[in-house]
Amino acid sequence: MTEEPYRWLEAISNRREYIREQLKGGTPVFALSRAEGVLLLGVGLGHSKVFEIYDRHGLAALGHPVDIERLRQAAIEAAHMEGFNRSSKDVTLRRLIGFALSPMLKQSFEQIFSPPFIVESVWAELGENEAQDVLVRVHYDGNHLYERGGVMVAHGDTKKESEAGAWLRQQIKPEHTLGQCAGICLVAWQAIADDKPFAEVAVPERPALSITGKTLEAALLDRKSGGAVRYRELDLK
Amino acid sequence: MNGDFLALLPKTPFPQLGAPLQPPPPLEATTVFAFHCAEGVIIAGDHRATAGNIVFSDKTEKILELDSHCLMAIAGVPATAFEMARTLQTSFEFYRRSQLQAMSLPAKIRALSQLLRNNLSATIQGFGIVAPIFAGVETSEPNAIPQIYFYDPLGAQFEAANYAGSGSGSGSIKAVLSFLEKWGSPRPAEMSVEQACNLANRLLITAAEFDTATGGVHPENKLFATIKLVSRSGIRSLAVDEQVDFWKNGAK
Repeated sequence: MTEEPYRWLEAISNRREYIREQLKGGTPVFALSRAEGVLLLGVGLGHSKVFEIYDRHGLAALGHPVDIERLRQAAIEAAHMEGFNRSSKDVTLRRLIGFALSPMLKQSFEQIFSPPFIVESVWAELGENEAQDVLVRVHYDGNHLYERGGVMVAHGDTKKESEAGAWLRQQIKPEHTLGQCAGICLVAWQAIADDKPFAEVAVPERPALSITGKTLEAALLDRKSGGAVRYRELDLK
Repeated sequence: MNGDFLALLPKTPFPQLGAPLQPPPPLEATTVFAFHCAEGVIIAGDHRATAGNIVFSDKTEKILELDSHCLMAIAGVPATAFEMARTLQTSFEFYRRSQLQAMSLPAKIRALSQLLRNNLSATIQGFGIVAPIFAGVETSEPNAIPQIYFYDPLGAQFEAANYAGSGSGSGSIKAVLSFLEKWGSPRPAEMSVEQACNLANRLLITAAEFDTATGGVHPENKLFATIKLVSRSGIRSLAVDEQVDFWKNGAK
């Protein structure tokens, strides 16, 4: 059937619909560029959403756990081979995504007889300062969007994702602590979970730092810590 | 998938040169050693690298951190030793990140042994011989005690109860440490970091008296050894300023 072009387009379209359907149960993940470093945040089961990739690189993702794992392993392998053969400074998100991960995702998505990656993700690279931080939103089909500094959200529903991103950019101020930033992200997380319009969402004076029955996964790519490895898990309670 | 970084690397063993096999030459060009003190393991090395009777460098770092809780001191051919350290650094981090848990201390010790064994042909031909010391602490056990291992160039690993030394100047150092373990007061294992740091510098100065390939430690010019402490909380490098103060205070 795929030798006919319109059938191929139909198959791709069906595939997109299937992936979006699969992602509907997923909850959003967040990346925030702050003076202290890059905060990565998700709500899961512990080591299921937020991961260390390399010295200055982290990942927050939602989707099928097996696909998150495949993508994570591919990124870790590519980053370590590059860091070993050249140097850790040569491991950059632009090269990692542009040459290793995105082509793999695109190929997997378009090979309609093989299983696609059911993953939406945000990738972060720590820079010398906030303006040099790199946040990349990578979609299941390999499409990706760069942002320097700021706020990035990943979710299966693109409308809710952009609403949450806009709301967070309004709410999060430079003077907020990492704990306050995480609390505000959790307010957005809850609003998406409750399907509540963001126009009606207000930030409480002291946002909670937990979600009942779930584990808060938070990590910081720490700008101020010494040493090569900048990723550390945060306990925000 | 199994966290084995070495499996990703191309297999490029050293070529066999076809030269007649001869016993490897004696180790040259280094003095590194480690001993237990009250707060953990002190590991130290001089800064001299030599090529025959030429001093190649007096600013060589021979104590290499492999991760936050283990390190190796290198003796032997630098090209091979530095590459081994680099391979292990990447290998341990790769395992920790991909498997979401740190590699166990026995596995790290074994990893170095495997690299030495993979280097067998260069070792028996005499141009790639490495005899390192490894010191580290198990991160998964809150009460773990730091351990010292030394290796023969073929990859056999031995745990050192009190101390280990490698390189051309290590003979005199091991003799002094053996003496101090039996009759010292305090014994090295009872020493504070200050005392152990001063002992390490004195040992290297003593070794340099008998070995031209050991050098670069001159407290009068603020040139001190590379000294690191491995303890449960990780690795601490003793900075030059700190060593200056210890030396001035003359803690014994």
